[in-house]
Amino acid sequence: MRTLQTLGRMPIGLTVPAFAILIIVFGAPIVLLFLTSLNAPALSIANYQAFLGQQANVRVLFQTIEVSVLATIICIIIGYPTAYLITAAPKRLRMVLLVLVIIPYLTSLLARTYAWIVILGDRGLINNLLLDLGLISSPLPLIYNRVAVYIGMVHIMLPVMILPLVSVMLGIDKSLVAAACSMGARPFAAFWRVFLPLSLPGVRSGSLLVFVLCLGFYITPAALGGLRDVMLSTFIAAQVATSFNMARTAAAAFILLGIAAVIVSALGLDLSDTPGRAEQPPRKSWRRRLPSFGTLTRNLNELAKPYRAKRWAAELYQVGGDGRDRKIVGTVFVLIVMFYLLFPGVVVITMSFNAGTFLQFPPSSLSLRWYRSFFGDPSWTTAALTSIQIGVAVVILSTIVGMLAAYGLSRTVPRLRAILTMMLLTPITFPSIVVGIAAYFGLLNLGLIGTITGIILTHCIGAVGYVVVIVSATLGNFDRRLELAAKSMRAGPLRTFMKVTLPLIWPGVMGGAVFAFIHSFDEVVKTSLISGFSIRTLPLKMWENMRHEIDPTIAAVASLLIFLPLLWLVALYVTWWRSRPKDQLAVPQL
Amino acid sequence: MSCWINRRQFMQTTSSAIAGGALSSVGGRASAQSPGELRVLVYGGDTGRANIEAYVKPFQAETGIRVTPITDDIRLAQLELMVTSNNVTIDVIATNPNTHLIAAARGHLEQIDYSIYRRDELGGLLDFTKQPFGVSGLIYSWVMFYNTEKFPTPKPRPSSWAEFWDDRRFSGVRAFQSGQSGTEGPWEEALLADGVAPDAIYPMDIDRVFASLDRIKPHIRRWWGSGSEIQQIMRDKAADIGNCYDGRAGVLIDQRAPLEINRNQAKLTCDYWAIPRGSANARNAQRFIEFATRAERQAAFAQLIAFGPSNINAYRTIPEDRARRLPSHPDHLASGVLMNTRWYIEAGSDGRTNAERLRDRWNDWILR
Repeated sequence: MRTLQTLGRMPIGLTVPAFAILIIVFGAPIVLLFLTSLNAPALSIANYQAFLGQQANVRVLFQTIEVSVLATIICIIIGYPTAYLITAAPKRLRMVLLVLVIIPYLTSLLARTYAWIVILGDRGLINNLLLDLGLISSPLPLIYNRVAVYIGMVHIMLPVMILPLVSVMLGIDKSLVAAACSMGARPFAAFWRVFLPLSLPGVRSGSLLVFVLCLGFYITPAALGGLRDVMLSTFIAAQVATSFNMARTAAAAFILLGIAAVIVSALGLDLSDTPGRAEQPPRKSWRRRLPSFGTLTRNLNELAKPYRAKRWAAELYQVGGDGRDRKIVGTVFVLIVMFYLLFPGVVVITMSFNAGTFLQFPPSSLSLRWYRSFFGDPSWTTAALTSIQIGVAVVILSTIVGMLAAYGLSRTVPRLRAILTMMLLTPITFPSIVVGIAAYFGLLNLGLIGTITGIILTHCIGAVGYVVVIVSATLGNFDRRLELAAKSMRAGPLRTFMKVTLPLIWPGVMGGAVFAFIHSFDEVVKTSLISGFSIRTLPLKMWENMRHEIDPTIAAVASLLIFLPLLWLVALYVTWWRSRPKDQLAVPQL
Repeated sequence: MSCWINRRQFMQTTSSAIAGGALSSVGGRASAQSPGELRVLVYGGDTGRANIEAYVKPFQAETGIRVTPITDDIRLAQLELMVTSNNVTIDVIATNPNTHLIAAARGHLEQIDYSIYRRDELGGLLDFTKQPFGVSGLIYSWVMFYNTEKFPTPKPRPSSWAEFWDDRRFSGVRAFQSGQSGTEGPWEEALLADGVAPDAIYPMDIDRVFASLDRIKPHIRRWWGSGSEIQQIMRDKAADIGNCYDGRAGVLIDQRAPLEINRNQAKLTCDYWAIPRGSANARNAQRFIEFATRAERQAAFAQLIAFGPSNINAYRTIPEDRARRLPSHPDHLASGVLMNTRWYIEAGSDGRTNAERLRDRWNDWILR
C-alpha cells in the first residue's frame, strides 16, 4: 500500500509495471534485433540499402501509408458522427448501440474477411441478386480492387475509432454546449467551437490506433484486394515464410516503425493534452489549425447574436420543432452504419447453421450440426477454454497496468509522454512476426516458451497499448480539480483515485479492456511461436482448420466468439449500471 | 535490468538464430519428454486425420512407442527458433520442399539413417523423394481445372499451358496461383506456355517467365493465395478455368461439382518428413519415418486422402480407379513436370537465391 502511495506521488512511476513487462518480454530482444538489422558488430546499413534499393519496396511502403491514411480518414468521417449520435442517444439505447459497434470487432478476422468475399464476390450475394434480377449480365467487379480493401479495412477499424470517441464524448459536459447556445452561438458554431475541440483527444486516439493498426494489415488486403493492392506486411510475411533472413526482415520492420513514428508525431501524439480546463491558459494552437470562418461572416453573426440568444430560450421549451428532420437524418445515418457493421456478422452466423458440409449463404437447410461438432470435439473445447483463461488473465493484467501507465503518462511532460507512448505502441505497430520473434528470445531466457504465462505476457505487451491509448483519451478531458477537491477533503491518493478518478475514466477503462480481450483472443502469429507446439489456443486451432478445409465449424466458432464477449459485456454493464447513478450525479454537483 | 538476463548469452542466442549456424550456448529447456515417447507433427484437418490413421496408430501398435500427434504445420521461422535455441519440442516434422531444403542447408535437420530401410522399400521410393535430411511421404501437384458447364463435352478444352494462355480460343474467367512467395508460383507454367520443353525448364530464364506472364496478366481475374481460397473459387464457379492443387479439385469433384482436371503438364512436388536437430528421440523418429515410407502404409494413406504415395510399390495394392486419381500414378508422373526445388534455393553471386530473385521480380511486376 505504501509503495503504491509513493508511486502515486511520482506519476511517472505508475508507468513502471507497463514498461517492466514490455522490456522483459520485448525490449531487450528488439534492441538486439535492431543491432542485427545493422549487421552488428560490423554496423553497416547494407540491409536498409538493400530494402530501399528495391523500387517495389519503396512503392509498396508509400502505398501502405496511403491506404492506412485514407482508411483512417474514412473511419473519422463515418466514426465521428456515429460516435456523436451514440453519445446523444438515451442511456439504454446508447449501451445497445455501443455493443453493436463492438460486434464486428469480435467477429474473428478470418471469418469476417470470408464474409466479405461471400458478399462482394463475383458469385457473391450482391452479384447473384443483380444477376437474378436481370439488372446485369455479367458480375460487377466488386472485389479484388482497392475499394474492396477499404470496405474490409474500415469495417474492422471503425469500432477502434468509435470507442475512444464515445468514451471521450461521454466525458464532455453537455451544459457547455448549451451555455454557448444561450450566449447566441448557432448550434453548428456551438458544436464547432465548443464540442469539437473538447472531443479532439478522442479523434487523436482513435486515429492513432487505426492508423498504426492499418500499417500492419495484410490478411484483409490480400483477400479482398487486387494484384497490386499489397501492403508492406505482405512482403515481410512472404520473406519470413520462404527465406527467413532475420537481418533483412528486421530492417523492413524498423523502416515501417520509423515511418509510423514520423507520421504519428506529425499528427500529434499528445493523447491527453487538454488538461484541467482552468489550470492552464486555453491552448490556441489547435484552434489556429481549424479553418476560420472568415471575419465577415463572424461580424454578421455577431449582429444576430442577441436574436439567437432569445430564440434559444424559446426553443428550449418547445416540443419537436425543426429538430425532427435532423433526428431522422441522424437515425438513418446510424442505421446505415449499423447495417454496414453488422451485416457480415449476420452472414457468418447464418452460415454457421448450414446443414451442408461447406460454407454457403444462404444455407440450403438449417441445422445445429456444426455446433455439435464443436462441442463434441475435445480439441475444440479445450482450445476454447485455454483461450478464455489466457484472455481473462490478459484483460486483468493489461487493464490494470495500462490504466496506471495512462494515468502516469497524463501527468508527465508532453515530450516525454509522446516518446513513452510510442514505445508502448511498438508491439502493435511492428509486424506480428517480428514481435513474436523478439518475444520468443525474451521469454526463452525465462523458460517461458510453451507455457500459458509466456503467452499471457506476449499478449499483454500488445493489449497494454490499446488500454493506454483509450484510457489516455478519457483522461484528456479529465478535470483535475475534482481530484484536488477530493484531496482537500482529506481523501488519500488511493481513495481519490478509486472514488473520483476511476469512476470518471471508467468508460475508457472498459473500452480498453474489451480491446485487450479481443487482441488476446484473435492473436495467431505470436502465439504460434510462443506456444512451442504444446499449447493450443482457439485461434490457432481455427487457423489449422482453415488452412486445410473450410467447413462451417469455423462459422460456428466465430458465432460463439461473437456471443461470448457479448454476454461478458452485458454482465459488466449490469454491474456498472447499478453503481453508476451515484457517481454521475456527483459530477454536476461539484 | 541486468539481473534477469546475461547479455552475452543473449547475444549469442540471437546471433546464432540469425546466422542459423552453430548450436546456441544457452542451455534452455530441453524437451521434457521420456525416451519412449515421440511427438509428431501431422498437419491439421483431413490430412492430419489420415496421417494419424495410416501411420501414427499402426506405428504405436507395432513398436509400443507412444506417439503424440500434433495437428499443426511448422514454418521455417518456428523450426529455426526451436533448433537454434536448443528448445526442440517436436521429434518428427513434415514440411514443404522449400522449407525442407533451406532447413537442411542451414543445418537444422538430422541426417536420415537409410541403413534401417528394407531394400525393396528403398527401391520403391522415387529418387527425388529420398534426400539426405528427409524422406517424402506424399506427392502432390498443381493441375489445370475447368468448369464443365463453361466447357461442356463437345467443346474444345485447353490441354496444355500454351492453350491456357490462348485467351481467344479458350475464353473464360481465369484464376492462377500468386507468385508472392517466390517458390510456389506460375513460373514453370509460364515457360511451358511460351514453348519451353518440359526438360529444359531449369535453370529458369526469369526474363522469359515474366515476358510470358505479361501476356496472361490481363486475363487473370484472381491470383489466388491459398488452397482453401482456390477451392472456394472453384465451388462458387467464380472462375471457369485455372490452376489448383489436384487434391483440392478432387474433393469438389467427389461432391459432384461440375469440374474436371487436366493432368497434362501437371507440376509435381512432395513434402518431406524430417527430424529437427537436437530431438531427444531421434532414434524413434528415424523408425517412425521409415515406417511411414513403407509401401503398405502409404497405400492405406492414399486411400484415406488423395495424396500420391512416394513409394511406387504402394500402387500394387491400390485399386486402379483410386490409383488413377493420385498424382504420383506412373502415367501422371510421365505426363507431368517435376518441380526442381533445389534450383530455387541456389544462390547467385549477390547471395540472393533464385526464389528471392523471383519474389523480388514478382513484387516489381505486380505494381506495373
